[in-house]
Amino acid sequence: MSGENVKIVENATCTFCGCVCDDMVLTVDLDQKRITKAKNACILGRAWYAEHYIEEDAPAAMIDGKPASIDEAVEEAAKTLVDAKFPITYGLSDTTCEAQKQAVAIADIIKGSIDTTTSVCHGPSGIAFQGVGESTMTLGEVKNRADLVIYWGGNPAESHPRHFGRYAVTAKGMFTPRGKKDRTVVVVDVRKTPSVPAANQFIQVKPGKDFELLWALRALVKNRKISPNIEEITGVSLETIQALVDKMKNCRYGALFFGMGLTMTRGRHFNSGALIALATDLNEYTHFVAKPVRGHGNVTGADNVMSWQTGYPFGVNFSRGFPRFNPGEFTTVDLLAKKDVDAALIIASDPASNFPQAAIDHLAGIPVVSLDTKATMTSKLAHVAFRTATYGINTAGTVYRMDDVPITLRKAFDSPFPTDEEILTAIKKRVRALKFPKNQAGDKVPPGRASQKEHWKH
Amino acid sequence: MPLLLKQIAPPEVPLEADNITPDRITGQTPAGVEKLTVMHGNETRRIGDFFRVTGQYDGVINLQGDHLGRVKFIGARMSRGVIRVDGDVGEHLGAGMSGGAILISGNAADWVGPEMSGGRIEIRGNAGHMTGSAYRGADMGMTGGEIIIHGNARNEVGNAMRNGLIAIAGNSGDFTGVNMLAGSIFVSGELGIRTGAGMKRGSVISLKDAELLPTFDYSCTYQPGYLTLYFRYLTGLGLEIDDERVRGPYKRYCGDSVEMNRGEILLYSG
Repeated sequence: MSGENVKIVENATCTFCGCVCDDMVLTVDLDQKRITKAKNACILGRAWYAEHYIEEDAPAAMIDGKPASIDEAVEEAAKTLVDAKFPITYGLSDTTCEAQKQAVAIADIIKGSIDTTTSVCHGPSGIAFQGVGESTMTLGEVKNRADLVIYWGGNPAESHPRHFGRYAVTAKGMFTPRGKKDRTVVVVDVRKTPSVPAANQFIQVKPGKDFELLWALRALVKNRKISPNIEEITGVSLETIQALVDKMKNCRYGALFFGMGLTMTRGRHFNSGALIALATDLNEYTHFVAKPVRGHGNVTGADNVMSWQTGYPFGVNFSRGFPRFNPGEFTTVDLLAKKDVDAALIIASDPASNFPQAAIDHLAGIPVVSLDTKATMTSKLAHVAFRTATYGINTAGTVYRMDDVPITLRKAFDSPFPTDEEILTAIKKRVRALKFPKNQAGDKVPPGRASQKEHWKH
Repeated sequence: MPLLLKQIAPPEVPLEADNITPDRITGQTPAGVEKLTVMHGNETRRIGDFFRVTGQYDGVINLQGDHLGRVKFIGARMSRGVIRVDGDVGEHLGAGMSGGAILISGNAADWVGPEMSGGRIEIRGNAGHMTGSAYRGADMGMTGGEIIIHGNARNEVGNAMRNGLIAIAGNSGDFTGVNMLAGSIFVSGELGIRTGAGMKRGSVISLKDAELLPTFDYSCTYQPGYLTLYFRYLTGLGLEIDDERVRGPYKRYCGDSVEMNRGEILLYSG
């Protein structure tokens, strides 16, 4: 460490996971352009900061693997997207809400589909919220009030290490002054995870039988009969289920947190729907809430921005000029695997490294525009690739915590690369100018709307 | 003589052809039909760009081609006439239709007859997910009419269906009759798991035994009289059901107890 040129950033926000902890104290070595210390960060946050470095020599934009100026690349990206008949915009969960907003505008102008990484993680919960409704809360409420916390199909000790300490298990709050001693914590999972030692009770359900167990809980909460061979079906005895039901009915404030053990196993949206419905049923007796434990730093922001701008959280199509929501038809994996799309705009995501092979094969055959902070498998196969600044470290902006609470980011140090928002705004301007050539002003409203405005004036 | 639409060019991206319905085509000349619009991705094109139209509409539209699997919304909102497709079809076949008939010689993609209220869809091959179901966010699926599938169907057959009949000669996927409000689903082959989850009323009938949810309660084994009439009707539609199964007996389970507990699942137990 060079030592001299050091800056301390107080109350910085870690954007690694959906906890979005906003109490970081970062020590920044401005000469090295590295974060040398991240006080309060968990093991994941420390790695997120420690491994962040800037590749100064890397080009900010590339066309077909060759360095290009940002203007050329923006022009080429805009042309690619405007020429497409059925383009997809995907990613968005690791960037700011301001950038996400521009991406939705682009999808609207180019009449394409827009989808976020939600579709491959908590997308089923999104469908369930629409179908069942949501008994929601903020994590602050859980910290201050919850005396029964149930984690289902997730392992926060490893995926969200500070979830226990900051919000839900050992956190001391207004009505939970003794922290863990004032709470009962239950973990339901198919195997003993590192989260189990933090819990008062561990319930091991047979793999793929979460829905059956949730359904049995719902029936018992409503005082209905369930089949006597429930232990054979779910691996959990009737007495254990009944005891859990009594515990849930008799708590003051119960919270259910669920992970991808529910959403990405057989049954998907019905699994999360069953859990949300259980929380709703329990409100007959006490206050009960349910919340998905979200993964990426701003995946909740992606859902919020998409819902705010289009009415739906993911899997939206604008082909006909208005938003249509249909997961399975307009979600990215399906569109790619069916070879439907003819161009892609990928923002802050790397589908080429984690999608099914059929989807990757199609992605490799169509023109792709990618925005990422590092070289990825996707940026390598992209027609136009932009390198952008990392959100939360090199750019400010807004992100949403997993409980839909917006949190402002604080920049630690500057990056030589532009932000996602700047690139997407530039692409939006060019796309609009190409799509509405008569209106050369670019950023102004399209002609249809302008004339309507004139009409109102009179 | 039917009106023949022969596919001349494969669409590069999915084609949304909700104008291919008897309601829109009645009274049109072949040249007039070719001028009707279709959505090719995000661009508006003409039917004539993708199909050569010949013949005269006499109540039957015949579609032929090798790439019809990319054509969506065939027969959407139709109320009369017949559409005969030689080949596979894309999503949203007969979406919201209220009358008439659609006959498919090949396979159908997801969303066959979502929210239909009348008419009949017959598929010789397999169907995808969400047959006769509600669209996401809607409280009611199919409210009338018949869907006959001679092959297999995938998940969520009859999701939130309110009335009508779905008959599947092969197997059905998971969550058959999920959130069903009323109506009948008949499955000759195997049922997937979690049949009838959240059902309020309605009947799911299967000729094979199945694993049911813990919230379904066995009530009795009997020979329901109405099934004989039902099976006679289904054999008339081309489904093969042997006499033993027509006679029964059937185990009756009622559920879903988390809801009204007035639905029934009948499983053959001969």
